[in-house]
Amino acid sequence: MNSPPPIPSSDHLRLQTCRALVIAGIILYVPANVIPVMTMTVVGRVEPLTVLGGVEELYHSGLPVIAGIVFLASIVVPFCKLATLSWLLIMHGSTECQQQRATARRIVHLIGSWSMVDIFLLSVLAAVGQLGVLASVVAKPGAFFFAAVLVCTIFASESYKPRMIWQTREPLET
Amino acid sequence: MTELSSPTPRWISCPECEAACREVPLPPRAVLHCRRCGVVVRKSTRPTSLQPAWALATAGLLLMVMANVTPIMSFDVAGNTQTNLIGTGVITLYKQGYWPVAGLVFFSAIAAPALYLATVWYVVAACCLARPWPGLHRMLTWAEILESWNLVPVFALATLVSVVKLDTLGTVTWHHGAIWLAVLSICAFLTSQLFDHRMVEERLEELA
Repeated sequence: MNSPPPIPSSDHLRLQTCRALVIAGIILYVPANVIPVMTMTVVGRVEPLTVLGGVEELYHSGLPVIAGIVFLASIVVPFCKLATLSWLLIMHGSTECQQQRATARRIVHLIGSWSMVDIFLLSVLAAVGQLGVLASVVAKPGAFFFAAVLVCTIFASESYKPRMIWQTREPLET
Repeated sequence: MTELSSPTPRWISCPECEAACREVPLPPRAVLHCRRCGVVVRKSTRPTSLQPAWALATAGLLLMVMANVTPIMSFDVAGNTQTNLIGTGVITLYKQGYWPVAGLVFFSAIAAPALYLATVWYVVAACCLARPWPGLHRMLTWAEILESWNLVPVFALATLVSVVKLDTLGTVTWHHGAIWLAVLSICAFLTSQLFDHRMVEERLEELA
């Protein structure tokens, strides 16, 4: 195996798609964490909650373990996913750290789906929080951005195939 | 694929990095790792091991129905009660104008797990019964795509978190749906663990 095997031209498209999705994901990550994802009205008190705000509230209600899980799943995991994918894309074509990149990709692929926890949490809270003034949960625009980040990262990691880590030169333009 | 037991080495492609690996006869319980990326390429598995996957997929499909039609919990504040199903949140989000989010929740909590279990059931049942049903290869591809969307365990965790959160605001009562949901998440997880793609592919080649 002296010369590298020919790279399929579809991988060029995959690389472009992945780049576009990662950049979109990074841009959307900011509003997703700044804009509230929901407002909770409890006995007349309206409370807008961002993703981090929700975690903080859980922590203050004496549930540090649950808060930790939600923090990991909805803030750390998407960040790690975007960071790892950026690393893979920047290092694409080089021969350094290929083993580490393969391991990192595998880990990110494995834990990636747990970031959906916050969207499901919103869905469950919105479902039962329909008691008018007593308790109501309303989704806010942050939910759009958060869902968009998740969709971007899921499709980005699907489009960067593990074999592409081992391709040592850029695919040719078609 | 016929010279599986012949002494001449066969080259197989690594399922992850697609490197060519030399296949060697494996002693029982041994695994063959890819020399390039280190992933498990071959496992010596027992020939009957597709049946647990079939059983779990069947159970999963039945539980999928049960978990979706039985209320999971109800939330009570000062005598006002609201009960929820998995689908209630989807409808509420849709009504509040967040239809893309509602669509995402519907797809990843209801549609994709159901389709995943159904495709796995179809492929594994065809293998176990040795029936060359139509479209098996396409179904296998679909099962591979849908595997990462099998998010029922994540939904179960979200339900648990929401109960803990709501418990500080009012009274939360569990219903039977919660049990179905918990068992369904275990079934869905185990199905994806026991669904052996290579074994299915080999069986499909024998069938054709």
